[in-house]
Amino acid sequence: MTTSRPRAVIAGAGAVCGLGRNPDAMLAAIVAGRSAIGAIGGWDTGDWRVTIAAEITDFNARELVDDRKLHKFIRRTDFFGIYAGDRAAAEAGFDAHRVSLDSAAAATFADRSGCYVGSGGGAFENQYDYLPLLAEAHGELPAFGAKLAETVNPMWLLRTLPNNVLCHVGIRNRLKGSNACITNHSVGGSLAVIEAAEALAQGEADRALAIGHETPIEPQNVLYYDRCGLLAADALRPFDQARSGSVFGEGAGALALETPASLASRGGVARGEVLGGGHVCEAKGLLAIRDDGDGTARAIELALADAGLDRGDVAMIVAHGNGTPQSDASEARAILRVFGTTCPPVTAFKWAIGHLIAAAGIVEATIALAALRAKVVPGIATLTELDPACAGLPVSRETRTVAGDIALVLCRGFAGTDAALVVRALGS
Amino acid sequence: MTGRRRVAITGIGLVTPVGNDAASTWRAVCAGTSGAAPIASFDASGFPTRIAAEVKGFDPAVITAPNKLVKYANRSHRFALAAAEEAMRDAAIAPTPGDSERWGCAVGTGMMGVAFGDLAALQRHSAQAGELDAHALLDDDTAADPVAFCRSQSTAGVALLTRRFGIRGYATSVHTACASGGQALGTALKLIRRGAADRVLAGGFDSMVNPVGLAGFCLLSAVSSDNDTPERASRPFDATRNGFVLGEGAGFLVLEEWSSARARGAHVYAELAGDGNSLSSYRITDSPPDGDGPIQSMRAALADAGAHPEDIDYINAHGTSTGMNDRSESAAIRAVFGGDANRVSVSSTKSTMGHLIAAAGAVEIAICALAIERATMPVNANYRVPDPDCDLNLVVGEARRQPVRMTLSNSFGFGGSNSCVALRHPDHVDAP
Repeated sequence: MTTSRPRAVIAGAGAVCGLGRNPDAMLAAIVAGRSAIGAIGGWDTGDWRVTIAAEITDFNARELVDDRKLHKFIRRTDFFGIYAGDRAAAEAGFDAHRVSLDSAAAATFADRSGCYVGSGGGAFENQYDYLPLLAEAHGELPAFGAKLAETVNPMWLLRTLPNNVLCHVGIRNRLKGSNACITNHSVGGSLAVIEAAEALAQGEADRALAIGHETPIEPQNVLYYDRCGLLAADALRPFDQARSGSVFGEGAGALALETPASLASRGGVARGEVLGGGHVCEAKGLLAIRDDGDGTARAIELALADAGLDRGDVAMIVAHGNGTPQSDASEARAILRVFGTTCPPVTAFKWAIGHLIAAAGIVEATIALAALRAKVVPGIATLTELDPACAGLPVSRETRTVAGDIALVLCRGFAGTDAALVVRALGS
Repeated sequence: MTGRRRVAITGIGLVTPVGNDAASTWRAVCAGTSGAAPIASFDASGFPTRIAAEVKGFDPAVITAPNKLVKYANRSHRFALAAAEEAMRDAAIAPTPGDSERWGCAVGTGMMGVAFGDLAALQRHSAQAGELDAHALLDDDTAADPVAFCRSQSTAGVALLTRRFGIRGYATSVHTACASGGQALGTALKLIRRGAADRVLAGGFDSMVNPVGLAGFCLLSAVSSDNDTPERASRPFDATRNGFVLGEGAGFLVLEEWSSARARGAHVYAELAGDGNSLSSYRITDSPPDGDGPIQSMRAALADAGAHPEDIDYINAHGTSTGMNDRSESAAIRAVFGGDANRVSVSSTKSTMGHLIAAAGAVEIAICALAIERATMPVNANYRVPDPDCDLNLVVGEARRQPVRMTLSNSFGFGGSNSCVALRHPDHVDAP
């Protein structure tokens, strides 16, 4: 086995999606073959082609974010992001340690604590607060301007900031160091992990939260994705011959990262490591991707090189596996191109949790860590017949055992972007 | 610092309210020519604020990208494509099939994806009573238009740019409100430093000069309503300041690993020398009155650049012309520079260009590079009445001609993200 120096240790994790409010609960459901995908409850989909998604059906504002004053200033997606971030920070014990310090040391602790968030950016529903005003003004701009103050929530702009989670998780957890809000579609959460780990490796911070959050289950969004041929009407079947598209999910994931020295100095517990990451784009435009898997293959190779690992060190691959015909076929090609005939077990989670867009990569990383700890490669319950275009890809319906503690987590997004993360679980 | 890869700025492109390229923008920010005027792009007569700094006379024909690509570009993406083309042309380099994987792209993007026209059309068809009717959406032309969908995505800008130039390495979009452009440049700096890329096209673009964007700022009382004197409305650090002037545009820079830029004989404007990045974690709208947050970002940028306050000759301030920002920023500069604050020259080019929101940081970093190259510090226009809370060595009256060894560029965003980027004169890199 190759030796590698971790970019960062993982001191805590948090996640919420349709399958539960922590990674272990999600793993248990996936291993049991249970999916969160069901009928969309958000609006009447009676005459819609796509009527399914993996919604969070037990949304409880106070259980997610205890500060009620905050509720009117944040959106549904922000609730999830704040919840996951808070959970990861709490599991890491950041706050418990900070309050034990004297005021000067606590201030330094805050200044050396960063936060990196992958966020959905500007979503359609952000503008819906203006629909009543547009209706009232009959589309006439002078009336629109004149009635503005009496019709629209004065906090509209602040409620819809893409960087809301970064702001509020920062305030709630006294994070005052280096930060970013990454609005890069599906790779956002994975890039938050890569950038947070790099910030620690380069000495910009001693600890940092990485978070990804998104709520894409919204009428206009569902319709557009469907009309672009990206959504399935019945189920998400990664790599299956009968796959017909993806299914939206919603939620958030977070990892609390720390330098080994900082963790040791406060007696914290290492639950895992971020060993490396890679990110590239295919330069094909807004939605297009290459059939040969060029971007995914290069991202994997960069991540392995960054981690200082050989292909043989990877015990499990969590594929993007979004269930669209072109993405899965090109992803299988890329994985087989890099790993050849000695490919470790491959699995995917979106069949059960849906596609969480900006949250996808990081939520799946938290589930991957839970799976490594439980020594299982969860099966893909919707896989019936492997697509010949994916022949040779070692995927299975059944749960398998995992022969190691390192996982590769893949993620792909609009703009032809591909991200790969290499993580190790500790303390199984 | 030894052994660390350095980053050269070798290309600049700008589309701003005071000029549709870098040369005309530079002339205007030095002359103090305001880009603010009554809003011309829509009927703002009912709004409390009816002025903005709009890009004027922009001809999309300057974009040489194929039409099938440009049709996916909204107004801000077009600014981005034009500014990026100018920057690449200026740097006289472009990705080749052999090195395209080593090129990255990092952009600060605006928060508004949906064009106002698309929202209004959606309302007319599918929200006639003011509430979205999901059933009506099914035969709504706007909801069936894949081009409208693509334009609305937060990744549309980076997708168009990477496609246009064939960039196949690390490509990312960031949004931290008004700090976005600065954070994009900081991200790009780190990509080159850590070896993830050798060259990066980096910048920011935004246009919120539309009914919804202007409304958002009017509701917060953040914009000046000096509707009768638009050219005087943005007056950073002046005691009578009463809000910012909304601008729009794009700024792009070509960044290259230092030794390879030198090896190819590229013209180097400046070194992108350091990035400092902090969170105020105070309140979502308010700046800490004592400058906490911006203080850490400025100190971090200095440390990252291996510099000290005495090395800095010019600060391009965030200087929005709001009461709170300018007071907080002045306190931060005083805290970081101490007695040296009397020496270091400060100006806010938002006094002429207005506030370009997600593009502001990138445009202002480009202005800093030009200040170093041309040994000239742009003027803080419209300054008349001193504010004791903003006791800085402001560049007032006219631009200041003086050698500039190093600059800082501040950008602070709603939500508390603070970006400070340090630039250094190339002579002080090659012969430090």
